[in-house]
Amino acid sequence: MNAFLPLFRTNYRDFVRDRTALFWTIAFPVLFIGIFGIVLGRGDDGASYEVGLVIEDQSPQAATLGEVLAGFEALALTQGQRDAEIASLADGERRAVVVVPQGFGAAVAAGTPQPLQVHFDPSQQTTQQVVIPVLLRAFEVADRALTQTRPVVTADFRTLQSERLQVIDFIMPGLIAMSVMNGGVFGAIAMVSLRERRVLRRLSATPLPAWALVGADVTFRMVVVLVQTVLLVILAVLIGGVSVKVENLPALAGVAVLGGLAFVAIGFFLGAFAKTEQGFFPIAQVVTFPMLFLSGIFFPLDSMPDWIRPLVSAMPLTYLGDAMRQLMVGGAPVHSMALNLGVLTAFLVVFFGLAVRLFKYE
Amino acid sequence: MSTPVIEIRNLRKAYGDLQAVAGVSFDVAEGEVFGMLGPNGAGKTTTVEILEGLRIRDSGEVSVLGMDPATSGRDFKRLVGVQLQQVALYPRLRVHEVISLFGSFYEQQAETEDLIALMGLEDRRNARIAELSGGQAQRLSVALAVVNMPRLVFLDEPSTGMDPQARRNLWEIIEGFKAKGMTVVLTTHYMEEAERLCDRVAVMDHGRIIALDSPGALVRENFAEDAIEFVSNDGLSENDLGELAAVTSAASQGSAHSIFSSDIPRTMGSLIDLAQERGAPLEGMRVRHATLEDVFLKLTGRTLRD
Repeated sequence: MNAFLPLFRTNYRDFVRDRTALFWTIAFPVLFIGIFGIVLGRGDDGASYEVGLVIEDQSPQAATLGEVLAGFEALALTQGQRDAEIASLADGERRAVVVVPQGFGAAVAAGTPQPLQVHFDPSQQTTQQVVIPVLLRAFEVADRALTQTRPVVTADFRTLQSERLQVIDFIMPGLIAMSVMNGGVFGAIAMVSLRERRVLRRLSATPLPAWALVGADVTFRMVVVLVQTVLLVILAVLIGGVSVKVENLPALAGVAVLGGLAFVAIGFFLGAFAKTEQGFFPIAQVVTFPMLFLSGIFFPLDSMPDWIRPLVSAMPLTYLGDAMRQLMVGGAPVHSMALNLGVLTAFLVVFFGLAVRLFKYE
Repeated sequence: MSTPVIEIRNLRKAYGDLQAVAGVSFDVAEGEVFGMLGPNGAGKTTTVEILEGLRIRDSGEVSVLGMDPATSGRDFKRLVGVQLQQVALYPRLRVHEVISLFGSFYEQQAETEDLIALMGLEDRRNARIAELSGGQAQRLSVALAVVNMPRLVFLDEPSTGMDPQARRNLWEIIEGFKAKGMTVVLTTHYMEEAERLCDRVAVMDHGRIIALDSPGALVRENFAEDAIEFVSNDGLSENDLGELAAVTSAASQGSAHSIFSSDIPRTMGSLIDLAQERGAPLEGMRVRHATLEDVFLKLTGRTLRD
């Protein structure tokens, strides 16, 4: 069909001359990735956390404990008075404050341990997840040093993945999946707008077959999705320092297109319920917005309550995000790849079928 | 006349309770410019869209170029040209881009630059659609209707939004279509347009054709008389004017009056007597022939743009 290329070119021209569309499909995800990359990037890999140490006991045991803590690179120790250190913790200048109480040395010598006091703010995630485990490990080392025992039970932790994933590695594939979703669902706005402006009706008076019109539109959206994905992967590597599995990139592109097709189909389906471009936005928002937060692209699925699971399982972004995360950074699978691809294909088939049924020229 | 290009018999189409087209029959001959005249909601557009294959009729027989537009699909659409009302084309595309896009839908297509020249859009060739004036956009949509060099073209109120100069240019273009042997079906609510362009005019109201003939014949059939028009601020009512000598009918809209007379000098004399008697001024008085507008007013009791 020789109208395919002219239609494709029309989509391209319409798109690149539309600053709003360019912003939302290209600039916005780029900004998003950039900000996340800078905030969460691997830059602070060797970072240490401010911890206050208050020694109120003049024993050699207390001094040994202090030395052990100072030996941990992850902890930037500041020694001081209890009141001053607690105040610093309240001001956010310390992640935690460890207090060695009076009588600690004597208690250790007598074999009746007197607990250290650890002050921290449990609402701070890094403190919970990083500082406290480091402190516990430090106390363990100090314990063996003071009691002169040798460790008996040791463990060698081996992770399933070759790399230990950081927050940035978790988030980046999710952000790319989000862009694919937005590019697909909001891409359908072009068709809604053509209908609103009666261009579809005008086209229906020509011999142009519907498949050429839809085919050129969908093909163009997929090119946009691919450009977005490639751009964002490059940014994730450059700004976020994400280590991408290069050998999986072709498969990642394939998944982006499959996800893009599924979301375009959903967009077309939603477009059938909107008379105007203005009317399409809220409908598309209602569908995409919950997925941002509930499909595990920003927050891990296992941190969500059980009752919300069925909803999560019904969201196509859950499967796209999981598939992209597995391929891009080797993230732990939530679902098997076959299930992810199968569900996305099912969304594509069902919603494309519904969209065709509901399609109206005016 | 050769075999008709369009034949419709007893066409009906309803939208819910509204009978938009209530039994319409007519033929259009090859090479004819056929006008459909009527106010908004008269059923012109619905009739034309059924002929274009864009709407499905409820009942009746329709044959266009020997095909049924409702079932012939793309084979039919290749052969006809269509201009629709209120199409807002891709706002960010340029004029020449839109013309070549539409050309690409057809095997047989006119040269883009020829169409641009034909429509007098040379200096707007690279303008974006959003930047065109109403008249320019309208000319572009007429250009798109003939991009496939059709034998039959439907123009639905093509001069809407045009200034008088642009409208005259469009009329010349449509006369050019006719000179090339194209058949044109034109809807309009400008009676001047119908009078100048159309070989025959169907006057529609409430989904029916209430008169169908050449513009001249329509006027002659309905008015054997000429009209006297004048403005008078007060003192003269429609009833008074109807009583004047040789008057067949009178119509007043505010202070503007028209009286139709079978004997202009006699009516004129009695009108002047009446005006002097009442002390009513007579301003801007002129005598003219009856027009399609008068025909329409007489047939429907309404003006075309009501």
